[in-house]
Amino acid sequence: MRILKLKKADLYRFLEVIYKEADIWAPQKKGDKFVFDRVDDFSKIELQTTRTIIPPKKIMVPPMFNMFDFNEAGYKEDFSHISKKILFGIHPCDIHGLLTLDKLFIQEYPDPYYMGAREKTLILGLSCWPDEHCFCKSTRTNIIEEGYDLFFTDLDEFFLVWIGSSQGDDLVKLAPDKFDENLSDKDIQAYIRWQNDKEKAFKTEIDFVTMPDLMELKYKAPFWQEAGDACLACGSCSMVCPTCNCYNVADKTFLGGKPGKRIRTWDSCTLPEYSEVAGGENFREDKSDRLKLWYTHKLQAYVSKYGKPSCVGCGRCIATCPVGINVKTIARALEGEEVDAFWKKMSREVTK
Amino acid sequence: MKKITIEHLARLEGNGGVTATIDGNVVTDVKFLVNEGPRLVERLTLGKTPEEDVNLVPRICAICTLSHKYAAIRAMEKALKVNVGPKVKLIRELMHLGEMVESHALHVFYLALPDYVGFPNAIAMASKFPFEVKIALEMKQYGNHIMKTVSGRYIHGENPVIGGFGKFPSRDELVWIKNRAIQFMPFVLKTVKLFAELPYPDVPESETLYACCHPPDKKYGIVGDEIILSNGDIIDVQDYKNLTNEFIVPHSFCKRSQYKGKPYSVGALARVNCLGERFEGEARKMYKKYFNARWTKNPLFNNAAQALELVYAFERIPGVVDEAVKLPDEPLVLYSQKDGKGAGAVEAPRGTLFHAYEVTKGLVSHTDIITPTAQNAEDIERYCYITAQKLLESGQEEKIKDRMDLVIRSFDPCISCSVHTVQVKRAPEEDWKTKIAALKTDVSPVIIGIGSPGHSDDAVGLELARRLRGQGVKEVWIEDEALEKSGAREADERRPLLFLDAVDFGERPGKITIMPLQHAAWNAVLSHRLLPLVTSQISFDQLKNSYILGIQPASLEDGEQISEPVRLAMEQILEQLKN
Amino acid sequence: MPDNKLKIGIYELTGCAGDALLIIDCEEELVNIFKAANIEAFLMAKSDNNDEVELDVALVEGSVSTEKELEELRKIRKRSKALIAIGICAGLGGMQSYFLDDKDWAKNLKAVYGGVEMIHAKALPSKPIGDFVKVDYFLPGCPIGKEQFLSTFARLLAGNPPELFRFPVCVECKWHENDCLLNKNILCLGPLTAAGCGSVCVNHNLPCVGCWGPSEEANRTAEYKLLLEKGYDPALIKNKMANFSGTSITQFFARLKGETK
Repeated sequence: MRILKLKKADLYRFLEVIYKEADIWAPQKKGDKFVFDRVDDFSKIELQTTRTIIPPKKIMVPPMFNMFDFNEAGYKEDFSHISKKILFGIHPCDIHGLLTLDKLFIQEYPDPYYMGAREKTLILGLSCWPDEHCFCKSTRTNIIEEGYDLFFTDLDEFFLVWIGSSQGDDLVKLAPDKFDENLSDKDIQAYIRWQNDKEKAFKTEIDFVTMPDLMELKYKAPFWQEAGDACLACGSCSMVCPTCNCYNVADKTFLGGKPGKRIRTWDSCTLPEYSEVAGGENFREDKSDRLKLWYTHKLQAYVSKYGKPSCVGCGRCIATCPVGINVKTIARALEGEEVDAFWKKMSREVTK
Repeated sequence: MKKITIEHLARLEGNGGVTATIDGNVVTDVKFLVNEGPRLVERLTLGKTPEEDVNLVPRICAICTLSHKYAAIRAMEKALKVNVGPKVKLIRELMHLGEMVESHALHVFYLALPDYVGFPNAIAMASKFPFEVKIALEMKQYGNHIMKTVSGRYIHGENPVIGGFGKFPSRDELVWIKNRAIQFMPFVLKTVKLFAELPYPDVPESETLYACCHPPDKKYGIVGDEIILSNGDIIDVQDYKNLTNEFIVPHSFCKRSQYKGKPYSVGALARVNCLGERFEGEARKMYKKYFNARWTKNPLFNNAAQALELVYAFERIPGVVDEAVKLPDEPLVLYSQKDGKGAGAVEAPRGTLFHAYEVTKGLVSHTDIITPTAQNAEDIERYCYITAQKLLESGQEEKIKDRMDLVIRSFDPCISCSVHTVQVKRAPEEDWKTKIAALKTDVSPVIIGIGSPGHSDDAVGLELARRLRGQGVKEVWIEDEALEKSGAREADERRPLLFLDAVDFGERPGKITIMPLQHAAWNAVLSHRLLPLVTSQISFDQLKNSYILGIQPASLEDGEQISEPVRLAMEQILEQLKN
Repeated sequence: MPDNKLKIGIYELTGCAGDALLIIDCEEELVNIFKAANIEAFLMAKSDNNDEVELDVALVEGSVSTEKELEELRKIRKRSKALIAIGICAGLGGMQSYFLDDKDWAKNLKAVYGGVEMIHAKALPSKPIGDFVKVDYFLPGCPIGKEQFLSTFARLLAGNPPELFRFPVCVECKWHENDCLLNKNILCLGPLTAAGCGSVCVNHNLPCVGCWGPSEEANRTAEYKLLLEKGYDPALIKNKMANFSGTSITQFFARLKGETK
């Protein structure tokens, strides 16, 4: 692995060069939040961003796309949404999110759509700074060792650039004069200082080691019902989670002899239809049962299979759920601590 | 009176329409019916926030959804003292033009044209006029596209709000709209030629008063803070009731007399009549080429006027886009005003639409919405009456149904109303007896005998009145007494007037027919010296409730004798009226 | 040659005609609709309508608000194998069923029409068609969506029931990567509202007004309390919830009344 130095001012020049290779997608402003979007103006790329509203899973598996066209004669796969992309500005937690999805969509159930898009997307990671919702230190996803082609650490005056793959190396070779192989001691000190400061900047910490046991022990705790009563069943927690991967398919047919389409859309286990079977029976009619499923998957089941939670600490559920049901408040409730969230307040009001 | 209030908010449904009743050689009744159920929209907006009102009121009608939204926004911005920037105004104009293109294209090609070229509907017409049908479809799509781009949806888009837009259309979207407009121009000019040169029959021709929004800066336009009438009068939109009151609110004697109690028309033809001289460019050339005196009195020319407005719209759209793309997007104008009162008017494709509100403590406390079709209803009835009566007189009774259909459709009341609207009915023999019995159940009518003595049967009205008086019937007026007494007492305002007169409608002598007084006012043949004088003096409410009982004379020659058949008729009438 | 195409009728009761107009707005697809099925009645599109024929599917827009409409609806039901309510007026009663209490309605009817008896049809408080006849399926929306309608139509022709989104519009809103407006303390009805419009209002930076009617599992209690917590006036919240919910809001209001007593 090589680590190079890139001057701040040279970043855009480098991006301009590699832009000729593929479309660059990077965080840009949407209101007061950020989203990954295709770059048509480099000045719109945001370098100091918190989490995007939706994680970069949307680039590998769009929220809604056509899997194949079909008619009486057969079917034809549709990969038209897949194109070569350079994803710039992706944070460590989201790289871990993609690595988690890889386990499912590449190793367990090879998914040609996911694999196709993953292969065609170069990952150019970017360092970040935690805000009040970030807890990737607790999930150990604040540091990355794999899953990127290049990784940029922003040290104010310059970037340190890790080369993580031969494809990353190829990109660097397109503009070799911009990168400096010689790092001074001062540069290295700056990096160490930055790393230490960042470690101390986390405001939210969750003990994930105890979570599998607590999920088991507190499976019948009354707070689940309280959370279920407040849950709006809006599905947002799943949509914004970098590791939620469930999807639904529906066949659409058309008039006038046009072929049908099999449409794949993001789904969520917190939605009522998810656990419904033929005949209308629903295994998880109660919202509290669905929330239990969601948190079992994040905090317990994945741990027993892969030795770590399927939560990457990005804080999106904290930033998104309107009634405050998220990994942080559920963890606090599991730990038996006071929970300051609307869903808890609402339950107190009802019992009053 | 009833009809206007019912229509006030109702969209016209397919089974709404006109019923014309014919008795002998006279059209005795024309009713423009609306069979839509009541929705009480004006009531259900009360207590809501101005924003909710703007969400709800476009649902009055899907066809004019953006006109309703725009009129409501204009009224609310007036009431709440919100001033929007130039880009907001331009983009609003664009969406409004989009709705006009969509509606006019649909109306002239799909609903009106098949009538003139002899096809039952547009699909059937496509075999002979494939080009027209295709262009119409593309124009309609284009209009829809503008509406969707600006408002967010084809129907009931929520993007236009008080203070501006949630989101402005992008530069690329606007430029596409502009370029497409330019491509359409040659076809739009052909459209005007087609519709201006159609052989419109002259039968419904009759002068009327036209009204529309008065755009500023001597330009043609489809919004304004004033209303202009074809007689030159200008009315501030805030005083919109000065225009509309006469038809919706009773006891407004003087306001009605301002327009001589006469109906008025709104819509494309009204706009072209009031503002046509302001057209510029190709629209002006076309206007100069085709506009003539028949456009001022024949509602069928509304189709030609709509075609002319298509030229205006397609010429205006590129200009709007050019101005808009130069300007930055404007943030939503926020407001803190919690109380106020305001009216807003826009030209919906089918005519002037008024929304008026009062907001108290941040909530709507009064709503008044006056739709174009509600304003046109009186003229629709009047033109139908004229059509039916004239065709009847010239022995073309079989044409009445189709021609009235044509007249109603020309007003473009609403698409679903434009199919099978007309019913022609023969009144049963002695229909007048049933009507008089019905009239007497409420309040006893005032009986007025008119006629001229010494002209044989023309004295029948006077003779009847004298004999009724002799038999002790109260409230019988003779000739000029009606002038002194009518409209004098408020208590009489709801009391029906029943005129007795000899009326020559080419029937067998002695035939008795009852007809509404307001129809007599529209028909020169039936006019009598006193009728216009009395009708201008009484309230509109009373006018609608008054009738003429006409007896077909055998002779109107000089002489003192009343003929035998008329005498027999007199006895029948006396029998009915004396108790 | 015997014609085995489905016989379909499209009808309008009280409403804005937006659902019928949306079908017209399908433009080039409209031709395919007319080719693929026998459209026996569609007042807005054609004049030779057959009001007697037995139908495979009747699509009904609008609420019932006169006795005449009720009679018409019953006749349509009798001669149709399947009946589909299109739009929230037919499915829920629409904005015109805002006066849930009959006495309240009568009072307001009098205020607007001054007690004038209508000559053509006796008025009734506006109700969804499901209050009077069996409704097999309901396509929500104000108006319904083009894609939703076309895919439903194609499914019907293939003998399949409609397949609609059963979740709230928030799911689509996240697909469009919008920031949640509730978290910015804006009164948004997304969590209570059926998906299908593609979250068009929030895409335009505006809160959802709820025009697609309630979603299957709308958690009104939680949304109501959440908005109270954010400082919204109870009357405003209730109005907003009711504007496009038709008669479906009745139970919630009754429960709220019971709780506040």
